[in-house]
Amino acid sequence: MTNPVFWVGVLTLALIYGSLAMVLNVESGWGGMWDLGVAGLLASGAYCYIILGIDDPDLGTRFVPGLPMWLAWPLAAAFTGLVALAIALPSLRLRREYFLITTLAFAEIIRQIAVIQADLTRGTTGFSSLDRPFDTLVEPRDYNYVLLGIVAFAALVVYLITRRIGTSAYGRTLRAARDNEALALALGKRVNRMRIKTFVVAGVLIGAIAPLYLFYIRAITPQLFAPGITFTIWTALVIGGIGSIRGGLVGAVVLIVFTEAVGLIEVDPQYINILVSIEPFLVGLLLVLVLRFRPDGLISERNAFGTRAGRRARRVPA
Amino acid sequence: MELVLDGVRKVFGGVVAVADVSAVIPQDQVTALIGPNGAGKTTLFNAVTGFDPPDQGTITFGGRRINGLPPWRVAELGLIRTFQTPVGFTTLTVRESMLAAATPWFMETPRGAFGLGPGFGRKGRKLERDAEIRTGEIAAELGLEDLLDVRTDELSAGDRKLLEFARQLMAQPKMLLLDEPAAAVAPANIGRLSQLVRRLCDERGLGSLIIDHNLSFLMQIADEVHVLDQGVLIASGPPEAIAADPEVMRVYLGEQAAEGAGP
Ligand SMILES: Nc1ncnc2c1ncn2[C@@H]1O[C@H](COP(=O)(O)OP(=O)(O)OP(=O)(O)O)[C@@H](O)[C@H]1O
Ligand SMILES: [Mg+2]
Repeated sequence: MTNPVFWVGVLTLALIYGSLAMVLNVESGWGGMWDLGVAGLLASGAYCYIILGIDDPDLGTRFVPGLPMWLAWPLAAAFTGLVALAIALPSLRLRREYFLITTLAFAEIIRQIAVIQADLTRGTTGFSSLDRPFDTLVEPRDYNYVLLGIVAFAALVVYLITRRIGTSAYGRTLRAARDNEALALALGKRVNRMRIKTFVVAGVLIGAIAPLYLFYIRAITPQLFAPGITFTIWTALVIGGIGSIRGGLVGAVVLIVFTEAVGLIEVDPQYINILVSIEPFLVGLLLVLVLRFRPDGLISERNAFGTRAGRRARRVPA
Repeated sequence: MELVLDGVRKVFGGVVAVADVSAVIPQDQVTALIGPNGAGKTTLFNAVTGFDPPDQGTITFGGRRINGLPPWRVAELGLIRTFQTPVGFTTLTVRESMLAAATPWFMETPRGAFGLGPGFGRKGRKLERDAEIRTGEIAAELGLEDLLDVRTDELSAGDRKLLEFARQLMAQPKMLLLDEPAAAVAPANIGRLSQLVRRLCDERGLGSLIIDHNLSFLMQIADEVHVLDQGVLIASGPPEAIAADPEVMRVYLGEQAAEGAGP
């Protein structure tokens, strides 16, 4: 049950979700754009990567570009950036709740396109047995460690990028406009343009992470990109602390390890159905407990940005 | 750089909030805009700053037509306003709020975050250093230097008012538009506030247009007063003349008298 390969897989998934949650934090936590369409951007990146890499005419797809991995990967990221731009331009005219619904709708449209455009995406059949980086270098059973290494490196890069954004003047103005848009405008901030750019940056990063998710899952069908994945990433971010710098990563590790550990509970086979159905309940309970005792998440925005001097000054009575 | 309003009109449904107002607001003086509640003062500010463009008329600043421009563009031209309720950037510290106000747009892009684009290298670092120095100076000038690392939502109402000025000054304005700066300021501090506004404007050669209900405050600092009543500009002139104008007395003071000894 507790063999190391299992936990290597859990950690790999946690780091992928953590990377996505850190990106979501840039647009939603700092940018104030409540994006419920992460799954759609992830699907765009994943399908673009897969389709550009098709080299087998027997798969029956219309295009067989056969691009090498190192070329398909950045192109997938760029393509996802374009998709994000196409979503941002109309959606950012809307206020928060409407923006949220619109992004969710776009994600579902993208998933439906993946189902319908079967001559590109092989519809609900999808693709399996994908090539993975360095998979000829090691024994197949050791590949999990290689993938963990790749994903850990990617998570580190995403962390460094998002931290740089968060601590820069750009991140500061994003947070300012989130807090008070009218005031930001009155100080000459190009709020809308800045948000569109932010959404596109998030799209590029999500598109760049998407192939990693495929290397982990080793197959792709539209069902992979149902809204559930967006909600998991959001849950991870809220647990970890929306608006903080590391929160998404920490929250994803806590959430995924917790979820997988629940799956490990040994029960009599006749109760297995109950355990499976109780799992979402336990995730909900975890979320409620975190929000009850740490309303700002495990790492709060205040702790991420407030300075020590500020925390001291707050204790001085007014 | 003067602000010129020519026949500015704004209608909400059936309500004429601002009716064909024409006025010249020079840069080298403090101008007051008074009038009873609902007279259209804030509406006029919104029209000038692009938040709610006028239905008719033209507004120019420094000879340049500004109606129809988006708010951020009007601000870039040097017209920096405050809002009637000073909320601020709630989760940002005083220092962050001030720096944010001073940051040029090309550093507020994803590229800028990685030191690329126009803010690249030495130039960008110098801009940042200059902004930090100015933050220290302006905070000291306004008495905010001990609060630089305190979050905006934890400031007292008075300090939040000071932060409004601090942010405005960081944005290097040419003219300040202040919407009720004296509201909620303790009477004992009004004198200090008027000195502060006067000094900030005189030292920097800033023009200012100030809306307020506190007449004694405005009479202390204003060089010229405009009176708005139901969207119509009914009187303009030096404070002494306005204070003696029977028509102003009727619409403005009469209304206050009717309210009793209001705040
Ligand atoms: N967005 C709006 N929609 C409809 N009517 C509005 C709007 N904004 C203002 N008004 C109306 O326009 C008139 C002028 O309002 P405005 O806020 O400009 O007054 P004011 O002079 O600033 O008053 P106060 O001293 O109370 O701040 C009022 O009758 C108000 O009800
Ligand atoms: Mg008003």
